[in-house]
Amino acid sequence: MSVLIDIILAILAVYLAIQCLLAPRLPQTMFLFFAFGLALALAWVRLGAVDVAIAEAAIAAGFLGVLMIDALRDFSHALNKRQGNPTDNQKTLSGNGTKLPWLPGVALGLGLGLFLLIALEAIWKMPDGGGLTVLAGEMLPVSGVGNPVTAVLLNYRGYDTWLEIGVILMALLAIVATGGTEVYRRPGMAARDPLLRQVILFFTPILFLFGAFLLYAGKAAPGGAFQAAVLWGAMGILLHLGGWPVFAVIPRWLRQLILALGLGAFLLMGFLFMAGGGALFEYPPAHAGVLILIVETLAAISIAAALTAIYTLFNQMNEEPDQADSTN
Amino acid sequence: METYQIYSLTSAVLFVIGLAGVFASGHFIKKIIATNIMGGGVFLCLVSFSGRDALAFADPVPHALVITGIVVAVSSAAFALSLARRIKQLTGKESFSNDK
Repeated sequence: MSVLIDIILAILAVYLAIQCLLAPRLPQTMFLFFAFGLALALAWVRLGAVDVAIAEAAIAAGFLGVLMIDALRDFSHALNKRQGNPTDNQKTLSGNGTKLPWLPGVALGLGLGLFLLIALEAIWKMPDGGGLTVLAGEMLPVSGVGNPVTAVLLNYRGYDTWLEIGVILMALLAIVATGGTEVYRRPGMAARDPLLRQVILFFTPILFLFGAFLLYAGKAAPGGAFQAAVLWGAMGILLHLGGWPVFAVIPRWLRQLILALGLGAFLLMGFLFMAGGGALFEYPPAHAGVLILIVETLAAISIAAALTAIYTLFNQMNEEPDQADSTN
Repeated sequence: METYQIYSLTSAVLFVIGLAGVFASGHFIKKIIATNIMGGGVFLCLVSFSGRDALAFADPVPHALVITGIVVAVSSAAFALSLARRIKQLTGKESFSNDK
């Protein structure tokens, strides 16, 4: 019975992925992509990876979805508009109207088919054993947390997580660079809907509490800094949409401090452990739990701020740069 | 047939679908989505392998890697989207084409 659920879910994910790439209109592509992300999240619940499921649903389907819907305003909706007639079935079949010539098409199909067979064979013949489950379990009592995934993220492989926060900051900087401006403006007239504002006011404390719960629960159960950060980032995005542009009103130095806080605190703590005789990011076992919670909280604040900033920059990207003046 | 086997085989199919999308579609956003589908395949592969020799819990290292990977994938997709929007704003193009 449970195998049946898995097979249906697997077929659903593959179907959504194919439909997503064949959909004739851009909004369809995007919404099928969110559906695909949520199907993957269900697959991860089935595989017992609840942490991953929360991250996927919140970041990959939720946050990326918001960014994509925002990008919809720039692009024309019909993917094959340039070719003229959108009802022409021949053209929609190949995805976006630029029909592949048959010889490269066949070559691509053969190549992909061969690649698929090799990948399937490699996966099927993958030897059992290995893995770090036993080691991760043995070290869990000294890691300071009860959830093995959090232990890997913040303790065993703290280096990766630290760099990951850096990647988000890099993405923000790169987006600032492509947008050509680091000015956070107040949103336009769209934010004057009183019902929207009331609903957002109602949900903001709930989002904050839920994020804080996920952050704290991450010590012993699925949850953690990234999942909490997305909820807090959602809070910032909602406030921005409701006409309280958090990022436009706080001063520049404070904004930059908040953005750098997670990366900086993580690194500082890492060097302090080195000064105390350990390795970089090696927590003293006696205080590991508290230290991890502090690092996680600061990282979550930074990531939430970075996500809000990325969304704010996206939101104002299609407004004319010289239309509104700077708030700095 | 066990759960992890179903999903690890699915992961290869998803990766190839995404790869085909990257090659066959011209529109920027479709290419970005296709790379994300490829990424989904890779993540599914990692997580399903972690379930193979689970004891009290599944291998947490691939789980942590995948959470990191999701965040990095979303960051790069956000950057790619902003580049695509910028290209659209500056040149009016929505896809790569040689005939212009």
